[in-house]
Amino acid sequence: MAPQLTDLSTVRRPIAEANGLPNAHYIDAAVFDEERQAVLFDNWSGLAVSADIPDVGDAVPVTFLGMPLLLVRDRRGAVRVFQNTCRHRGMILVDAPRKIEGAIRCPYHSWCYSTEGRLVSTPHVGGPGQNTHAGIDRALLGLIEIRSHIWMDVIWINISGNAAPFEVANADLMARWAEFDKPLFHGGTSSRFQLSVNCNWKLAVENYCESYHLPWVHPGLNSYSRLEDHYHIEQPGRYSGQGTLVYRQLKGEDGKSFPDFDGLADKWNTAAEYISAYPNVLLGVHRDHAFAIILVPDGPERTTENVHLYYTADDTDADLRDRNSALWKLVFEEDIFVVEGMQRGRHGVKFDGGRFSPAMDGPTHLFHDWIAAQFDRHRASDHPAAHAAE
Amino acid sequence: MSTLNDHLLAAHEAGDITSLIDLYTQAGDSSQGSDAAAFYLTHAMVFALELGDPRAAVLRARLVAEGREEA
Repeated sequence: MAPQLTDLSTVRRPIAEANGLPNAHYIDAAVFDEERQAVLFDNWSGLAVSADIPDVGDAVPVTFLGMPLLLVRDRRGAVRVFQNTCRHRGMILVDAPRKIEGAIRCPYHSWCYSTEGRLVSTPHVGGPGQNTHAGIDRALLGLIEIRSHIWMDVIWINISGNAAPFEVANADLMARWAEFDKPLFHGGTSSRFQLSVNCNWKLAVENYCESYHLPWVHPGLNSYSRLEDHYHIEQPGRYSGQGTLVYRQLKGEDGKSFPDFDGLADKWNTAAEYISAYPNVLLGVHRDHAFAIILVPDGPERTTENVHLYYTADDTDADLRDRNSALWKLVFEEDIFVVEGMQRGRHGVKFDGGRFSPAMDGPTHLFHDWIAAQFDRHRASDHPAAHAAE
Repeated sequence: MSTLNDHLLAAHEAGDITSLIDLYTQAGDSSQGSDAAAFYLTHAMVFALELGDPRAAVLRARLVAEGREEA
């Protein structure tokens, strides 16, 4: 058994007795590397949204935890995620977003791949003007495709390839929100924004999970959305979050609001839910719009939040969309001092991970417990990364 | 050939792939010897593939006929 970098035994206790994850899980590079495999590569992580590559041939390179990936909308319109690395000498294939008109040509020796990842040309591989060689089997040298799945327009990836199928791993959440499994229309330029925060990505999840902080950090909500109007969403080992019973639709000067999703149950007239889809995607649904926040861990103490808002139709009022984006951006920006403050607090060497309110912090504790479970599983495995401390 | 070479360099400089297909095809057509011809036609085919240009199939067929490319 490899020596373990951290002791997680107290995290997995019942909430009234539990501590949060130790400081090292927020500030230590070695634990961050371990987490990369145990949490983010071994599960279904959010990478981007399919609206990032709306048209056939669109290609966008993305670096995820240091790994070069390439999003491509293939000839048939399917979203694919490839390792952005040529099978020949390991050159980066696409280094800026662009349209692939035909094949993906490596800029080094011009090996070419179809948008489906097939290796279609190996120029001069057998010598000048000879494009074949017995030792090079193109059928075995296509681009490495990363397992991916689209849900709520989010492109989820499982880099290890070992997770249960997405529909199985997330069956409970998909069932909970089956009413929202309808076409989502990205609101366009003003409905996407990015926040860069000086904190570990998990702190953004933890803050998003719970309503306990709302009256203190988002006082603007107090006038109509009191703490008692919220409820916990707790699915141990799966997801957690919070809901509100008093969602109010945004209205334009003409009194009109966004159109609703079709066929919603009556409860959604005033309900809205905000769920952390473990590990790194924050989702929100309302009768008339939804959003996804993809947390991109840029390092132990740095996170990029990519925010996307969606509507029920592609012709919603642009001014109203702008106002809605501004409202949400304000709320998310109000959280920045909290997550950055918790990050600084994690350098307090005598901090023990903290305690949880047994009444109010259930969703957050579930996330800590799930993270700890991923480390337990990983450390019990024979994966080489699990023994990095040896 | 020096003029063709100049045009090729200019097309590379400009990233003008359509012209590169034309010019490398011309270079292949005017080459002495099958190795040199296949070399240039391969370049023409690669750029045609990159552009999704239908000439890729024609160029590929020529190379296959010469045993230079997978059938």
